[in-house]
Amino acid sequence: MSDRSRIESTFADSTLTSSKAELDYRPVALMPDVKVLKVGGQSIMDRGRKALFPILDELAAAKDKHKLLVCCGGGTRARHIYSVASDLELPTGVLAALGGYVPRQNARMLQMLLAKHGGIFMLHDDFEKLPLYFRLGCIPIMTGMPPFAYWEKPAANGRIPQHRTDAGVFLSAEVLGSRRAIFVKDEDGLFTDDPKKNPKAEKIPRISAKELLKSDLPDLVLERVVIEYLARARFCTELQIINGLERGMLTRALEGEDVGTIITRD
Amino acid sequence: MSKLVTGDGRTHIASNLMRESLVDRRVVAKTHSDREFSILPDVVLVSLGGQSIFDRGRDAVLPLVEELAEVRARTKMVIGVGGGTRVRHTVSIALDLGLPTGGVAQLVGAMEEANAVFLNALLAKHGSIVMQREHFWELPLYLDGGMLPIVISIPPYHFWEPPPEDGPLPAHGSDFGLFIHAEVLGMRRIIFVKDEDGLYDKDPKKHSDAKLIKRTTLKKLEESMPEELILDRQLFDAWKNARHVRQVQIVNGLKRGELSRALAGEDAGTIIEKEQADV
Repeated sequence: MSDRSRIESTFADSTLTSSKAELDYRPVALMPDVKVLKVGGQSIMDRGRKALFPILDELAAAKDKHKLLVCCGGGTRARHIYSVASDLELPTGVLAALGGYVPRQNARMLQMLLAKHGGIFMLHDDFEKLPLYFRLGCIPIMTGMPPFAYWEKPAANGRIPQHRTDAGVFLSAEVLGSRRAIFVKDEDGLFTDDPKKNPKAEKIPRISAKELLKSDLPDLVLERVVIEYLARARFCTELQIINGLERGMLTRALEGEDVGTIITRD
Repeated sequence: MSKLVTGDGRTHIASNLMRESLVDRRVVAKTHSDREFSILPDVVLVSLGGQSIFDRGRDAVLPLVEELAEVRARTKMVIGVGGGTRVRHTVSIALDLGLPTGGVAQLVGAMEEANAVFLNALLAKHGSIVMQREHFWELPLYLDGGMLPIVISIPPYHFWEPPPEDGPLPAHGSDFGLFIHAEVLGMRRIIFVKDEDGLYDKDPKKHSDAKLIKRTTLKKLEESMPEELILDRQLFDAWKNARHVRQVQIVNGLKRGELSRALAGEDAGTIIEKEQADV
């Protein structure tokens, strides 16, 4: 029997299932000055023009100052899809693929509205063209959903995909080497419970991923995996949640002000 | 007919999940089910190793090609391939350059796709076809038409690969990708074709006293997980929460007939089963 042909390299004999302790790894931030932000689905898009148009004004005003990568959430149509798919007993991967349609629609809506300011719709496959879009002064707009689709792993509980649009936004920021991802929602930040259901819920201005996971709240403002990933992130070490219904909040967040809630890695 | 609900500034569609926060555990639990629909339950997924099979060239690959051409009439199967030494070289260079984990994940799939093209060239006259990811739903068509589909094994996590628990290596490799592919389609069995007789308690290439594990369960394996594994660790993590895959078998593809025996349901190599009670 022939031997394995082999290219000599650090990992040539590795199973790639365990890391090498002696590895000299000095990670490079690819585009650290890009601001990755998410426009909420249920919280913003489903409110229509009243909520969205002021945010678009702020984006248009900021775009020559900042490199903005705008990602979209899903919202009530995504919930309807998940609900119907669950009723039909379909697996998680199919739900994840189906869940991709709605944020893509929302991204297309944003693109149409921002077209006159350079809004450009991009697919996951266009990610490597970001430098071009920024050089041309565009506002690239994409779905927040990561491209996992049918390859989304089942969760221990339930069948809602664990990686949805918050995860995609965080992971985009992480791979670009951007320090902070901004989530534009319809609440002032993270609360001790769902403020829409519990009026006694209190706002938390700043918290670490570890504290947040330890507090074991039944409801988190962001997808659970995002908080777990944040704890071991290399670049995107802060998540900011702001209220997009309050005029000026997004602009202040883009300027680096600690408005809303900041969730930190450490 | 679905109803539109307004009144809180948002427009909702009436559904079980309306207005709900999908990050609320109580809401997510409502979507749990033990009787999930199986899309293609009778199909077996067969994975050919990159380093273990492809990197050995014709001596290892051609007999397996013959075997696959022969058994395909009796079994509905989908084939996946690993990337091998070129993947390891890619990872070594990419990490030396300091590319982020997502950047590494974006690169490695190309080396596996090359092996898929090699295999397709050799099996084309027996009706093989490389299934591109965008053609996911053509899989039933291929199978119905008597084709032998070869799927891309690396999952499409690409730039969006989650930060690994430990070190910079992407955790979601080709074994995991194929596992998830089988799981989402409701398949029950996966066979990994490697160059060892199965799963050992340690790497048999480095330790002469490594012991072969002929039959085990996921639970037992969880309790004493070998340090260096023949399959991606993520595969086992994902399997814990999986609803469909019942059995993972690892056979030695360098021994003629082992794959056919495994496909016929015989005890070849290592059989890992998931206990029913886990469901």
